[in-house]
Amino acid sequence: MTNRSLIAQALLLIAIVLCCLFPFYWMVTTSLKDQVVALASPPVWTFTPTFANYVEVLFEDKVGASLINSLIVAVCTTLLALVLGAPAAYALARFEFRGKRDLWFWFITNRMVSPIVLALPFFLIVRFFGLLDTHIVLILIYLTFNLPIVIWICTDQFRSIPRELDEAAVLEGASQFRIFRSICLPLAAPGVAVSAIFSFIFSWNELMFALVLTRTAAKTAPAVAVGFMEGYNLPYGKNMATSTLIVIPVIVFALIASKQLVRGLTMGAVK
Amino acid sequence: MLKSTLRGLAFGAATSVALGAGLTLGTGPAFGWSLEEAAKPYAGTTVDVVFLLRPGYEAAEEMLPEFEEATGIKVNIIKHPYENALGEQVRDFVAGGDLDIALIDLVWIGNFAENEWIVPLEKFTSNPELADPELDMEDFFPLVLNAFGAWNGTVYGLPFDNYSGLLFYNSCMLKEAGFDGPPQTWDELKNVYGPALTKDGKYAFALQSKRNETQSADSFARMLWPFGGSFLDDKFKSNLLSAESQAGLKFRQDLMQYMPEGIVAYDHAETVNALAQGDVAMITEWSAFYSTLTSPETSTLGDCFGVAPEPMGPAGRKPALGGFSLAVASQADDDEQAAAYLFIQWVTSKANAKRYLELGGVPARQSVYKLPGVAEQYQYVDALVESWQDGVPEFRPRFAEWPEITEIVQEWGTRIMLGDVSIEEGAEELGKRMEAVLEDAGYYSGEKPLAQ
Amino acid sequence: MKTGGVSRLTIFGFLGPAILSLALIGIVPLAFAVYTSLHKYQLTNLRRTPFLGLENYQTVLTDPVFWDAMQRTMTLLVIVLPLQLILGMGIALLLHRPGLGFLKTLTRLSLVVPMATTYAVVGLLGQIMFNLKYGVVNQLIGFLGFDPVNWIGDPTNAFIAIAFWDVWQWTPFCALVLLAGLTTVPGEIEEAARLETKKWWLVLRHVQLPFLIPGLTAILILRTADTLKLFDMVFTMTRGGPGSSTELISLLIQRVGFRVFDQGLASAQAIILLIITIVLSQLYIRLIYREVQQ
Repeated sequence: MTNRSLIAQALLLIAIVLCCLFPFYWMVTTSLKDQVVALASPPVWTFTPTFANYVEVLFEDKVGASLINSLIVAVCTTLLALVLGAPAAYALARFEFRGKRDLWFWFITNRMVSPIVLALPFFLIVRFFGLLDTHIVLILIYLTFNLPIVIWICTDQFRSIPRELDEAAVLEGASQFRIFRSICLPLAAPGVAVSAIFSFIFSWNELMFALVLTRTAAKTAPAVAVGFMEGYNLPYGKNMATSTLIVIPVIVFALIASKQLVRGLTMGAVK
Repeated sequence: MLKSTLRGLAFGAATSVALGAGLTLGTGPAFGWSLEEAAKPYAGTTVDVVFLLRPGYEAAEEMLPEFEEATGIKVNIIKHPYENALGEQVRDFVAGGDLDIALIDLVWIGNFAENEWIVPLEKFTSNPELADPELDMEDFFPLVLNAFGAWNGTVYGLPFDNYSGLLFYNSCMLKEAGFDGPPQTWDELKNVYGPALTKDGKYAFALQSKRNETQSADSFARMLWPFGGSFLDDKFKSNLLSAESQAGLKFRQDLMQYMPEGIVAYDHAETVNALAQGDVAMITEWSAFYSTLTSPETSTLGDCFGVAPEPMGPAGRKPALGGFSLAVASQADDDEQAAAYLFIQWVTSKANAKRYLELGGVPARQSVYKLPGVAEQYQYVDALVESWQDGVPEFRPRFAEWPEITEIVQEWGTRIMLGDVSIEEGAEELGKRMEAVLEDAGYYSGEKPLAQ
Repeated sequence: MKTGGVSRLTIFGFLGPAILSLALIGIVPLAFAVYTSLHKYQLTNLRRTPFLGLENYQTVLTDPVFWDAMQRTMTLLVIVLPLQLILGMGIALLLHRPGLGFLKTLTRLSLVVPMATTYAVVGLLGQIMFNLKYGVVNQLIGFLGFDPVNWIGDPTNAFIAIAFWDVWQWTPFCALVLLAGLTTVPGEIEEAARLETKKWWLVLRHVQLPFLIPGLTAILILRTADTLKLFDMVFTMTRGGPGSSTELISLLIQRVGFRVFDQGLASAQAIILLIITIVLSQLYIRLIYREVQQ
């Protein structure tokens, strides 16, 4: 390998890094600008940072509470998706039965359904049960995209576990449930972890259901952030402070889990 | 209009009679009426209301502690941007939710009233325990009360956040170009001021035209009326192909050459800011922006700030009319309704109008603008009062179908501006779609009275 | 039957909870949507909901607004997907080359950032960065000697802006999937191929590509579905404007359902969208499988 091509490669990689990170950088710096600086034309790159936007959104606009709502919803729906999805994935990977492919396809199709299709009917149903603006509603509706992810990735993972292991256990008289729990589940841990990471990120970032199904008490952070968009003023700094608060946790989480994330991307592949 | 004024009179009379009766029987308050007394049974009640992120609401929020302290009623404010406010409220009312007060844009009132989501005000004004003897319905600008708060002759809401279209301008830019004052007519604005003020990257005018309510109210309707046009004729058929309506739309299209490019992406914020930063010389905007444009924190105009009534067209001065009233929601229980009414009455009262004005709101009380010093301090008062004499209540039709119609206007109005379709084609298509909605609603078969 | 002694009850025990819950949450609303799609279901007038039969569907199928939105969505897909694949492939190949360990790790980590960023935030950020006057994008292209571009106010440019964001956000996804695919190529096969030819595209075409097929399938299906669902970013950045230039299919349905409040029509649109989505994903799976089996 020549030095020239190595330098070219390095430059390209640096360019990629810059492209990926620049919007993030711009979001964070804008959140530290006061109104006058944020609306400077052309935009300024050096300025005295202020935390006033953060103070305002956290204490006056209840963004803190909405972040907690987001956390509650994302964690609960992820756990629920795992509890429901992992056994189903196991069954799809291990057992033979009629209509298996169709069932798998049905599960996966749910991931493709636009939330638009479900949002309003779900609203009307939830209204009937008086559950509007509660965490549980979001936790449940998020299953429509989390459960398919869990099933998709975990089915793959369970398939890759050698059958000899559980056949031996069957001979010893272990029940299918025991085999699942004590033998296969631990071995499938990486896949389960990956699907959990995806579920969490998707739930944390979700906007449409949150907009339609919550009002105040259970409102999640993205729905609150969108609420600052009023035609009457241009609250750039405030918007970006909220955005930063929403994005930082999920990015930190994704970076920590980035190894597994990349693994998961291949597992999702249709086989 | 007359009808509602008469009604107001009747309320007043009923109230005083009832009060008198209360006094003689000894069951009413001993000496007149007080908020504290009236609110006593409802202390601890929580009232939910949607507020927007606009100056008038910030003013009310600032006044709120006083009310809560006096009454023990808690007012829970849920803030939404305008664009979401209708959807949020409709969903809440359909769901039988928690809102106790409806915030009603004048174009929503037909909808809310026909669905019986709001309670006629008379239920409360006729109750001497609740009605403030100082309520004085006639003090509201009649046009405003009628347009913002009443539907089909029944008053539901009291005007709270009130707008009229005004011409805001940069007097320094005008002076530099040799003009002593703002244009009197739209024609003058386009043909004389337009070319003179559009140069060196500056523009004579900006007309907020973003594809949302701004497009229908601030851009489309604003150009129809002064030229004698309108959305509908008296049979509720589209009037957009009439010579007058076409003239208005054509005028708007021509005027675009003196506006910044990309005007179809301008919402209020961009437009106001363009004037505040000295990029455009004139805008026609809601009265509510007075505080934004005069505050040194948000505007560089300073002494260059000027305000006038909107220019006149061949059909006269037909300034944009918009605004919100507050009404009691019928889904609230009795206590909540009473508490809600007390809040509405208090926040729109004559006594509080001055304070509301000082904090950045625009009250609809005639008396406050006659107070000494007010007209001097707030330069827009004359223009505002004048606008509220000449306004058209059906500037945008207020019937229940407006939410559907406005979407059509927004789409085709912007497409016309963008040159996607010609003015005539666009107006024709718009009219067709509008009539389809009205047909569906039963206006043409006589099922529904032609009220707007 | 491979499973031998596994009873139906056991199978049901494993699958039942997932099926039941997804059926309740997914199918019941869907059934309700079918019901409303057959009625005049105006949210602001629920006292009168007459049965319309297939009238809403007929309206949708003949409504140019619906098909314009559909076409816009497909145009977006056809523009961004090849870009994402090509750029993603390039990045994956760069990262697959030996050397520069630290820089490659840094790049891999940076690629996670766009993917994880909340979609609604991307749109809000777009409003700010692409602003004609205050936007940094115009400042940057100004450094390169270009005139400021009216991104959000011009129909074509607004479409370019949302396409740009979509490419920004999802190219990393393609890159990482393809990179993962490249690493599944057994080292000795790749070495042998490289000894035979110096041309990287020949290696790519004949040696690496077969290993990339599963990843490519996943990308095709997910990106198609996600483009048909794309809402948050466009909603927060342009709200479908100016005019209807960025009104994608999901924005249209949202507008009809939540702003015009015509739930019947919106449901009919949504169900047609759902059918299109399912047909497309089936098509992909079938086509690509045939390709592989040949």
